[in-house]
Amino acid sequence: MHAMTGRERILAVLAGERADHLPCMPITMTFASDILGVNYLRYVRDYRVMADAQIKTAEMFGFDYVSTISDPTREAADLGAHIAWYDDRPPAILEDEALLADKSVLARIGGLQAIAGGRMEDRVMGIGLLRERAGDELFVEGWVEGPCAEAADLRGINRLMMDFSDDPDFVRDLFDFTLEIATNFATAQIEAGADIIGIGDAAASLVGPVIYKEFVWPWEKRLVESIQANNGRVRLHICGNTRRLLEGMGTLGCEVVDIDYPVSMQLARSQTGPIQTLAGNLDPVRELRNGSPETIAQSLASIQQQVGQRWIVAAGCEIVRDTPYENVRALVNFAQVHETESMIDG
Amino acid sequence: MSHSKELYDAILTGNAKKAHVVTQAAIEVGIAPMELISGSMVPAMDEVGRLFEEEEYFVPELLLAGRAMKSAMELLRPLMVASGEKMSARVVIGTVKGDLHDIGKNIVGSMLEGSGFEVIDLGADVTPERFVSAVEGRQPEFVCLSALLTVTMPAMKTTIDALETAGLRTKVKVLIGGAPVTTEYARQIGADGYSPSASGAVELVRGFLAGS
Repeated sequence: MHAMTGRERILAVLAGERADHLPCMPITMTFASDILGVNYLRYVRDYRVMADAQIKTAEMFGFDYVSTISDPTREAADLGAHIAWYDDRPPAILEDEALLADKSVLARIGGLQAIAGGRMEDRVMGIGLLRERAGDELFVEGWVEGPCAEAADLRGINRLMMDFSDDPDFVRDLFDFTLEIATNFATAQIEAGADIIGIGDAAASLVGPVIYKEFVWPWEKRLVESIQANNGRVRLHICGNTRRLLEGMGTLGCEVVDIDYPVSMQLARSQTGPIQTLAGNLDPVRELRNGSPETIAQSLASIQQQVGQRWIVAAGCEIVRDTPYENVRALVNFAQVHETESMIDG
Repeated sequence: MSHSKELYDAILTGNAKKAHVVTQAAIEVGIAPMELISGSMVPAMDEVGRLFEEEEYFVPELLLAGRAMKSAMELLRPLMVASGEKMSARVVIGTVKGDLHDIGKNIVGSMLEGSGFEVIDLGADVTPERFVSAVEGRQPEFVCLSALLTVTMPAMKTTIDALETAGLRTKVKVLIGGAPVTTEYARQIGADGYSPSASGAVELVRGFLAGS
């Protein structure tokens, strides 16, 4: 079979067609800034630096994609939330000063008028530059905070977790608000050239199936549908233990569902069905960073046995910054020596 | 239903208002604070921990139970101070410098408090100096350090080093936890223990106390 570009390879697997080998889409953030030799503050504040780092990292290791995932604060920062900045790690939300610590503020903030002049626009510009530089070689990924994660960013995660019980109507209003932000942000990134939009909804992994079904899934579903209606694709990324949420995650209709390391791929496959493309799920610290090329190959072989077809090789979450290069190469090498099969009859 | 059972149920179901009312009523009929703690609070939080391990409870239920437990403790603490009663051990807990993630730390703190330990929560983004100061001032038996990020894990070692420099390291057991943390890392940095879960942290503390 002829050699495919990274973009062709991912598109083939998403379509259920045969690819020359398994695609590889590991998340990199601080790891990529280190490859370029810049501190992470520059990476998150200048889309040109981020694009340079992503392209260099993808080329150096042979990844099939580049991504604009960077930190959870882009939307919150543009809405006026207080952000803690660090020289060489991701910015973070100051929960004590959360924008919606006082619930009544929600009715007054009114949303974003436009994605302009702030951190969200920086990511949109990054998509445009990556699309221009990657052409048809690499898949380009945009990123938005999911409705639950953004609600946690704005309200404070400790407060939100109790709001589900204390004030469910407020939670619904808040999720309507965060859904609108995510929809608009995703649309801008698709228009700028993103092949896929990652929905990072980490906070969802903290709730059980009852809350997920009532509060999280319906808003995630609306976001997925709006992205797909705008000709986008979706990669759902919920870090952490999602064992009890898998069934719901598998019915969102996402093109890709990431599985983090606490969940067995066997369970993920059985819960999401044979058609769902899954990505993951090496433990980024214990297996990918602390392991060796040999143990990584063994772990990936075990994952492959569990997940079967429609699989994208990746760690469960971000490749951490001090991961040995030979370990990352082992991840990519595993993908490159394993062919995929067509899932289409005939 | 007895006050003890009512308080147990109120904590288990995360009903802070009921926990407060029941505790007040129990105090008024003369039930001793330690009886409520050991008879209701500790078993309730043990059950909360068990349900979490079994994936029947999740973070919202843990936080609600913790809030209910604290609403009862607010009434009991002044009575214990007045009578000179003490909790079984004192724990200083915090998320290390540079890390703002506090939900795991909050859950561990609640589980420890509900298990009958005095918990001094220093919050998130806590400098080594603040940990040292808290150990000097409050003289705990345990220091619990939390970090969610690989980039902030080194602050655990910095904190342990600061305790060493201040001559306090041998006076406390240092326990660490957080998603990227491992037993191996605990050993590398000279921590006394590691737990991957909140209920595991409680067992770790109980184990050290039983062994000491």
